[in-house]
Parts: sequence; C-alpha cells; structure tokens
Amino acid sequence: MTTLAERRSLEPWQDPKAVPYLRIERVTKKFDDIYAVDDVSLDIFQGEFFSLLGSSGCGKSTLLRMLAGLEYPSSGRIYIDGVDVTDVPAYSRPVNMMFQSYALFPHMSVEQNVEFGLKQDRLSRRERTERVAEMLELLKITELRKRRPDQLSGGQRQRVALARSLAKHPKLLLLDEPLGALDKRLRENTQFELVNLQERLGITFVTVTHDQEEAMTMSTRIAVMDAGQIMQVDTPTAIYEFPTCRLVAEFIGSINLFEGKVVATEGNAVLVETRVGRPMRMHSFHPMVLGTPVTVAVRPEKMRLCADFRDDGVNQLKGRVEDIAYLGDVSIYRIRVGDGALVEMTLTNVQPRTEQALTWEQDVAIEWSPSSGVVLTE
Amino acid sequence: MPAPPPNRAKHTHRTSRLVNIGIPYLWLGLFFLLPFAIVLQISLAEPALAQPPYTALWQWVDEGLLRIEINLRNFMMVAEDDLYLSALLNSLQVAFICTLLCLLLGYPMAYAIATAPERWRIILLMLIVLPFWTSFLIRVYAWIGILKSKGLLNDLLIWLGLIDTPLAILHTQTAIYIGVVYSYLPFMILPLYANLSRLDMSLLEAAADLGCRPMRAFLRVTLPLSMAGILAGSMLVFIPVVGEFVIPDLLGGPESLMVGKLLWTEFFSNKDWPLASALAILLLALLVVPFVMMQRLQQRIEGGRP
Repeated sequence: MTTLAERRSLEPWQDPKAVPYLRIERVTKKFDDIYAVDDVSLDIFQGEFFSLLGSSGCGKSTLLRMLAGLEYPSSGRIYIDGVDVTDVPAYSRPVNMMFQSYALFPHMSVEQNVEFGLKQDRLSRRERTERVAEMLELLKITELRKRRPDQLSGGQRQRVALARSLAKHPKLLLLDEPLGALDKRLRENTQFELVNLQERLGITFVTVTHDQEEAMTMSTRIAVMDAGQIMQVDTPTAIYEFPTCRLVAEFIGSINLFEGKVVATEGNAVLVETRVGRPMRMHSFHPMVLGTPVTVAVRPEKMRLCADFRDDGVNQLKGRVEDIAYLGDVSIYRIRVGDGALVEMTLTNVQPRTEQALTWEQDVAIEWSPSSGVVLTE
Repeated sequence: MPAPPPNRAKHTHRTSRLVNIGIPYLWLGLFFLLPFAIVLQISLAEPALAQPPYTALWQWVDEGLLRIEINLRNFMMVAEDDLYLSALLNSLQVAFICTLLCLLLGYPMAYAIATAPERWRIILLMLIVLPFWTSFLIRVYAWIGILKSKGLLNDLLIWLGLIDTPLAILHTQTAIYIGVVYSYLPFMILPLYANLSRLDMSLLEAAADLGCRPMRAFLRVTLPLSMAGILAGSMLVFIPVVGEFVIPDLLGGPESLMVGKLLWTEFFSNKDWPLASALAILLLALLVVPFVMMQRLQQRIEGGRP
C-alpha cells in the first residue's frame, strides 16, 4: 500500500509544484448560441498520454481542434510550454495533429506526405530524407513509401498519418479518434503500439476518443466530457473504481445504481436506504448529512454469490436469475431483486460452463462488501 | 468464394452491357462519325456549279468500273495560303488568351462559391447560369450597345471623368476578348466548382497543421487537386472558342480574322464547300492534338485514383 502511495505521489498531476506542459484555462467555444465547450480548465503534463473521453457531440473534438489552432476559443486562454498560444494560427503552433479521417494528401506518395511538414520547416534535403526514412522505419512502412494513399489499407493509412504528424518531432501530439477507423483486432494491437511509441518518444499525447476501453488501456489520465463540460479528470483506475458522478459511472463500463437516501452515518461508513432490501452499508470518502439523496453504485464484478444469507447480513440481496449472457471468459447474470429492480453480476467462468451452478429461474442470494462501491451525490 | 452466377444471369448481364455500351457508340456514330465522314468526303471533292456544289467523289463509269477522284488541292491551298494560316493562328491565340482570362477570373469565383455557406451556394450558382436564359445571340448583341463609341461603357467612363474621348473598343480584338470571356466564363466556372466543392477541407487543415501558410497550402494542395477541373474547364472554353463565329463576326473588326468567320465566308459567300470542308477538317485535326494531350495529362494526374 505504501509503495503504491509513493508511486502515486510522483505523478506530476499530484505534485503541486509541477508545471503543466499544456494549460487550458477557462476555455469556452460557442457556435452561434450553442456551447460546444463550456468553461473547461485542464492541466496536462509533459509525457502524459491524456484522453478526452465522451460520446459524440460532447465537445471533445472541438477542444482538440482549439489546441491545434483550427478553431479559436470564444473565451479563455491556452498555454503550451508556458507560452500563450490562444491567438496563434495553426501553422505557427508547435503541435501536430493526427486527423480522424487521416487527411492524407491524395496527390502525394507516402514519402511526400511524411515529408510535407518538413518542407515547410525549410530543412535541407538531406535532413528531410533522413527524417522521412526514420519515420517510415519507426512505423514499419518503409516498403510503402512510393504508394499513394488510395493504394493503402485502412491500417496502413493510419500509420502514414501517424508518421506524418510525428515527422516534425512535435512536443505535443493531438490525436483525433486515432483508432476509430480500424477494425477491432487491429485496434487492440495498435493501442499497445501507440503507448509504446509514446513512451519511447517521450511526446505528450492528447487523444480524443469515444471508446472507453481504448481510453482505459492507453491513458495516464482521462477527462470524461459531457455537454461541453468536464465531468471528471483522473487515472483510468480512479475513473472506473471511484467515479464522482452518475454520468461518469454509467459511461465507463456497466454499473448497478441504487437510488436512496442517507439514514445513518457510522465513522467513515453510511447507511443508505433504497427501494431494495435492507439499508446498504457503504464506505464514503466524504462526510454525509442525514437525509441526503444519494446513489449507491456497485460494479457487476464486485457482486458475488452469498453462501450464508442472513436476515441481518450486510449488503445482501435475494433474487432470481432472469438472464444469463455467456461471454466465454465471464458470464453476466441479471438478477431480479425486490420490486422489479434488476441487478447485474459478473462471474468469471472458472469451471466449464456445463458445470456451472447458476441457471435460469434459480433463486440466489448475492452480496458485496461496503468498500467495493461508491456513494454518489450527483 | 461466391458461387459463379447461373448462365442465364450471365447472359442478361452481357446483353445489358452490350446495350449500355452500344447506345453511346450508336449516338456517336450517327451524329459525329457520319457527319464527319460526309465533311471529309466533301473536302476531297472539287467545287462545281451544281446542286450540291461539289463533284461526286466516286461514280460508276461503266459496268464494273468505279472511278474515284480524290482531290487534295483544297488541303494544299489551305496549307499554302497565308490567309488561312494566319486565321488559324489568330483563332488559337484568341482561344488561348481567353481560356487563360476565363481561368484567372473563373477560379476565384468557383472557389468562392464552393466555400460559401450552403444556403448561398445554390443562389450563386443560379447567378452563373442565369445568363443562359437569354439567347446567346442577343447577349452578344447587347455588348455592341455597351462597347460602341457612344455606348454605355464610354458614357460611364466619360461621366466619371476617366477619359475625354470615347475609346474605340468595338470592332477590335479587345472586343472579341471581352465577348468571349463573358460568354464562356460559366463553362470554366461550372467544372471548377464541381471539382472544388469535392475538395476535402480537412486536407487544408492538415496542411496548416504541418506548418503551411494559407497561400502555400493553396499552391501545394488545392491547386494540384483541382487540376482535373482546370483541364476540363479549359477544354470546354478553348475548343469552342477556336471555331467561334458569332462573337468575332459581331464584335470583331476586319483585322481580327478567325477561322470560324473564314469558314462561313468560304461556305456561304464563295460557295466553295470543298475548301471550307478541308479547312474544317484541318481545324479538327489541330484541336485533337491539344485535346489528346490534355486527356493524357488528366489521366496522369488522376492516375491510380478511383
């Protein structure tokens, strides 16, 4: 536990003395009367792999485009490496972006695409050739260098786009849905590759994605966005285990939510009365006022079968198995408890399926520990 | 592997393909190749005081004896006489300069329309097409009223105090340029618009992101990607302007002899159909060269792209 705490204390976002590489200060973007980005402030540090996560239309792409200089904020400031770049046009910013559509120049070969940005920098011919070769090598696309974009597969195009955006050795790379156009298998492999690349080059990555799995795998930190605002900024683990609001809890993975109100507090635990079963006992990080309307949130994999159901047991529920979804590694059970509420429980299939105990219409008892969920106030 | 389609489907497929390809070929054969053959035939005949005013290319002299007379004098005359050569050169020059002017004027206009907000585009396009609702001839006539020495333009310039004496524009080469550029500008704008409106704007954003200022981004991305539109527009202007007859006839002067005018004179005034046909054939041959070159270039630009 101490080692983890020590390690965590080294993270720049927890160090009050750390200077952010990218600072977004109260940035708002209005399109006509609609707030695409609404008063967003963020500090992103050198070497981070930062993800903006949200459903489409939440403003994450607009925010990214403002970082690239393709849109200008209606108000607020953006600082990169301490320099105010709010009004600096895209072509003068020290950042590069990988576009969602890749935006490869169709009239140029792979080589020429990668070389494009270097030509703008007026590097010598020899330097350009070297840099292009280095980038093609890095992304393992050297043999494609003479091809045109329309002669490439989706995965190859993605690599070319990445090579092009890395060619100028930016300190900050923006990636708009970098894996969005790839099929599932390729996406998974590329996730790891992106992370390795980022660690090797030491570049700060800011990526936009709607895929929570992608954000979880790759990011050092995630900002969950909704309706132009940031709901929560934290590490993938914290976002998953300790969401601060219902919206984040529901957006990431699946979760059981029990609405109720606080009926008692005992030390760092609260008792929450809900519509199902007896009052639930949960740990709470914040002191709670009696009568506060709250939501108890417990992930399906934190639920377990209860061997000894007692009438005075803690966080125990009786119910009947209604649905079973067999996913191979795990099975998801939907259990009807009390008056109509469905609870989801995930169990790892340790035994082959045929030997599993649970079946449809079976009466079961489930339980969870007070520390394996959160109490949400919003 | 999908199973091969049954034979009947294959058969209908082939029939429909034949029809699909056949119809345009039939059309071209009937309305292009056949007239061309007739003109070619006339160009090889001799003028005659008859109806039609040329000799027959072949005739049956006797049972089993066909006499074919091919007269190449028309072509030799066209090639030797300076009048025809200078008319041809003048036509090419006018067409070239007008195409260039149309491009310089039309490109910014097409670009502006293509990048205008959606609701404006249709209106702007309408404005480009609107002049077609009035007869071409009437519009060219209207230019006489504008360009003549006591016309609208001179009146305006004098009223503004820019000039004291009226400019002689009408019946000069300048008037031809004005008339041609005015009349053919839409043919440059429309294909350019069609091309530019398909341009992926994220390419320009990518160029900016890679450090390219707007002017350079235009030269390195927009311009090369719109080359197909430039070529299409240029061909649509250049080729008909070379043979243009109405505009030089109405607006041009005696010194600006264009091949279209010459053709008309040979055909209707001199009644020398064979010579006129020879001139037409040479003109066609001359135009096929740049056309094929442009086609080649276009294929190379779009090479590999679907």
